[in-house]
Amino acid sequence: MNAIAKRELKSYFLSPIGYICVSAILLLYGLYFYQVLMSRSSSYIASAYSIMFIWTMMIIPIITMRSFSEEIRNKTDQALLTAPVGVTSIVMGKFLAAFAVYAIATVGSLIPVTVIGIFSSPSWALIFGNFFGSLLYGAAMIAIGVFLSSLTQSQIVAAITTFGVSILLIILDQLTSVTSNAVITKLIGWISFNTRYQPFTKGIFDISSIVFFLSVIAVFIFLTARKLESRRWS
Amino acid sequence: MIEVKNLSKRYGQNIALDNISFTVEEGTVVGFLGPNGAGKSTTMNIITGYLSASSGVVTVGGYNTLDNPNEVKRLIGYMPEMPPLYPDMTVREYLNFMYDLKKVTLPRQKHINEICALVRIGNVYDRLIGNLSKGYKQRVGLAQALLGNPPVLILDEPTVGLDPKQIIEMRNLIHNLGKKHTIILSSHILPEIQAVCERIIVVNQGALVADGTQEELAHSLSSENKLLVRLAGPEAEIRSALKTMKSVAGVESHGEKETGVYEFAVEAKGAADLRRDLFHLAAKRDWPILSLRSTDLSLEEVFLRLTSADYRKGRAALKEAMKGGKTA
Repeated sequence: MNAIAKRELKSYFLSPIGYICVSAILLLYGLYFYQVLMSRSSSYIASAYSIMFIWTMMIIPIITMRSFSEEIRNKTDQALLTAPVGVTSIVMGKFLAAFAVYAIATVGSLIPVTVIGIFSSPSWALIFGNFFGSLLYGAAMIAIGVFLSSLTQSQIVAAITTFGVSILLIILDQLTSVTSNAVITKLIGWISFNTRYQPFTKGIFDISSIVFFLSVIAVFIFLTARKLESRRWS
Repeated sequence: MIEVKNLSKRYGQNIALDNISFTVEEGTVVGFLGPNGAGKSTTMNIITGYLSASSGVVTVGGYNTLDNPNEVKRLIGYMPEMPPLYPDMTVREYLNFMYDLKKVTLPRQKHINEICALVRIGNVYDRLIGNLSKGYKQRVGLAQALLGNPPVLILDEPTVGLDPKQIIEMRNLIHNLGKKHTIILSSHILPEIQAVCERIIVVNQGALVADGTQEELAHSLSSENKLLVRLAGPEAEIRSALKTMKSVAGVESHGEKETGVYEFAVEAKGAADLRRDLFHLAAKRDWPILSLRSTDLSLEEVFLRLTSADYRKGRAALKEAMKGGKTA
């Protein structure tokens, strides 16, 4: 698992993808923090993070698109699957590397926060709620992206399907206004990343949301491992 | 060391492997021979645990590939047909990565250096794999398989895409490795198998058609022993005379080889020895025999014969007959 995660992370930064994704996220954070500074109130930091929700969901597909599809195309998955390593640790390695790329960018967002913190006294609970929430939904989305990339050997197809899921998750909340069915509304509230993320933006450490995101991660890592194993059976 | 029992693999309707069984003893070099698409790679992929079988059992070193996949994988060094190389890594990074991935416990730097010296990739050690020539890529693929000194090596067409000099080097290397390792080597190139393998397994269209040493295969198949004879005399007359002989199955004229000397391939029925009869016939008619030799089947002929449509038909008929016999 460590070997795979290490190699994978290295390879993100040997190709432009790692740099592009990290700098894109940091650039957008920079833009929104600039607006926070212009509005002269540290309470807007939370809104910078919540706007970033959409952008992050759009950038993550680019981080995850290559993780398994490239291996399958280059047939390097043969090396992984014939090595004395379990499938779950292969998937964990891949997931951790992609998550590390995203985490590097998200940790970078703490730089402007620190600067603001020096000159004013923002609500730290709010900021860390947002920061922690961003990491969680990002990790969940990465798990989904890694799974989708294990389904195809084309990076483009992997990226587009992951985009599709991202967009669906983003607009999911707006669907509640279309329907009046209570069951569907409740269901959407259940699976919507945004709804699950909301408590964190208010600085609330919401256990059920944490459990939700962790379960999404676990389910998709499990599914990816089964998918890899199923290649043996097809 | 390796035991394959009643192995079958289906891809949907397609039967890739049809009930293959064989065992490989420790320390032998076995050649896996067959035309393209015969099921060589599929068999190897199943042994290494990359694919699993539709039915049948594979055990390596006493471990079942399904129950103890990691123990089996630790015993095997696998070089697939297309070496699993990451083009964005240098040879150094790649070998170190594979060393970690395979959880090798030998002293890292010493072990990697030894392997590099063995497959001679020391001079490209710090170059990107993506920039290497096919021959070097192939060698890096072999180096990867050798990491951790696994007792079993499975090499899928190791010489494909190499130039003649590299092919010879690779063969020598495999030959040397065969002294310490159990090797299964696949190829559709006959001289290669001939050069390095002690035992040959021939597969065709997913079925095992022959298993034995080269001599055994040649012997079992050349049962309709053929003689090549050169006689001095009138061609047409000799031909008809040969044809009327009792135990002759067929005569083929190879034309005039020297002035007045004709060559014929005479095929005998069953195991009959034609040499004496031929001598008596020639002596009676006063046609001097200028040369007489039996055509031992070369590996190439063995291979062609084993994979020919006629042979398969014969086998299928035999199978049917056996089935019929069983039910009756």
